[in-house]
Amino acid sequence: MKELLILLPFALVVLGLVLWLFRQRATLNSGRSSLENAADKALATHYQFFPQIRQALSPADASYLLRRLPPRIAKKVLRDRRAIARKFLVGLDEDYSNLVRLARTVAALSPVVSHEQETERFLLSLRFRLLYLWTWTRLSTGSVSLEQIERLAVLIGQFATRMERAMAAVAAATTTKGESISRGLSA
Amino acid sequence: MSHRQIALYLVNIPFELVLCGLVYGRGLHRRLPLFAAYATVFLTGTLCFGLIYQHFGYHSSTSYYAGWIISGVNLLGRCLAIAEFCRYSLQEYKGIWGLSWRILGFLAALFLANSAIDSWGQPDWIVSYVLTIERDVGISSAILLLVILLISVYYGVWLEPVQKGIAIGLCVLCVVDAVNDTVLRTIFTEWIFSWSHMRPRVEEVNDWWNTIRTSAFVVSMSMWCFVLRKPLPAPNQEPALLPAEIYAEFSPAVNLRLRAINDRLLELLKP
Repeated sequence: MKELLILLPFALVVLGLVLWLFRQRATLNSGRSSLENAADKALATHYQFFPQIRQALSPADASYLLRRLPPRIAKKVLRDRRAIARKFLVGLDEDYSNLVRLARTVAALSPVVSHEQETERFLLSLRFRLLYLWTWTRLSTGSVSLEQIERLAVLIGQFATRMERAMAAVAAATTTKGESISRGLSA
Repeated sequence: MSHRQIALYLVNIPFELVLCGLVYGRGLHRRLPLFAAYATVFLTGTLCFGLIYQHFGYHSSTSYYAGWIISGVNLLGRCLAIAEFCRYSLQEYKGIWGLSWRILGFLAALFLANSAIDSWGQPDWIVSYVLTIERDVGISSAILLLVILLISVYYGVWLEPVQKGIAIGLCVLCVVDAVNDTVLRTIFTEWIFSWSHMRPRVEEVNDWWNTIRTSAFVVSMSMWCFVLRKPLPAPNQEPALLPAEIYAEFSPAVNLRLRAINDRLLELLKP
């Protein structure tokens, strides 16, 4: 009966998962246009707001506030700023996810797919999810500096810019049968 | 046969007739011929069961062997229908289908090997093997359906409502079958040495599990009939695939960037 005790929860989980999966929306219902949609979404947007966020969270500004304001209010202001940084991190996560979705769309619309590449991307996404959660927690406790967040934002921004160029190359290649993609990616 | 089983048997036949009528009437046999064959085999099997039980009696050895043979044919039909479903879901996306069938094949082989190993050395090896293989086919079919759905969601592939209904129905059948076979196998392997004392209890349990199993069939057939109540929509347009070179250039570049972002995030967490 030990097997049954394992199998029953397993059966319920499988049925629950199957029902949940059917509620997920598909994105590839119209081939090439789904690639264009994914490409539009993949153009990262949140990192672009980093200058404003940096201004709002600058350490110099914070120390000025701590000197000038009563401690209670200053602490509240710093707490609010941490909350803004967390929201910004959520936005960066969204940018990352959109880029990954674009890569999946390209894979789905390709006649040949490399299992090494797909496995690697799957594992990288998993790793990102864990690191992101850990960073979010650390940010909430105040042990991550703003400079570190900035470096991450800059990297995602560079990535998005390159993707933009790559997508332009993809668009060109779909009309001229695969020309100059590498140019777009290495630009 | 108990009254409960006879009642369920009589409920089952109209459902199966309606299902077969809908499958052929809606033209599903042109899209999923093996699923249509499974529905037909299932109806034929149920009718044969009735005739054999009536002619030879429920406890005769002919009925016993006929029962096993019909169950085996049904199981084979279901496996083929599931394989066809997996292929039909992703066949238009050649790249991801090329990736998926290897994963699915590996999982199926793994479960078959597991059932062979698991049944080795059990009392009455053949019966134990049949029950184990039936259980593992149920588990592996449910997992294969789950994996194909996960792959579809991961890559954003669209599934028609008919495909969804068929997959849910098949999954319910597979899961109930796996649980059913686990109970029967446990009863068989653990209580075989006190068979003469336990026989009435075993038959009572068997009766209950047959009722549950038949009910699961009724639930699945209801789902299939429900999704087939309307005419089938026109098949999806084949997606326009990209040239192969795009993926070859694009994918490593994406992975390189993702790795860089992860490394930066990891640096950020270092004390």
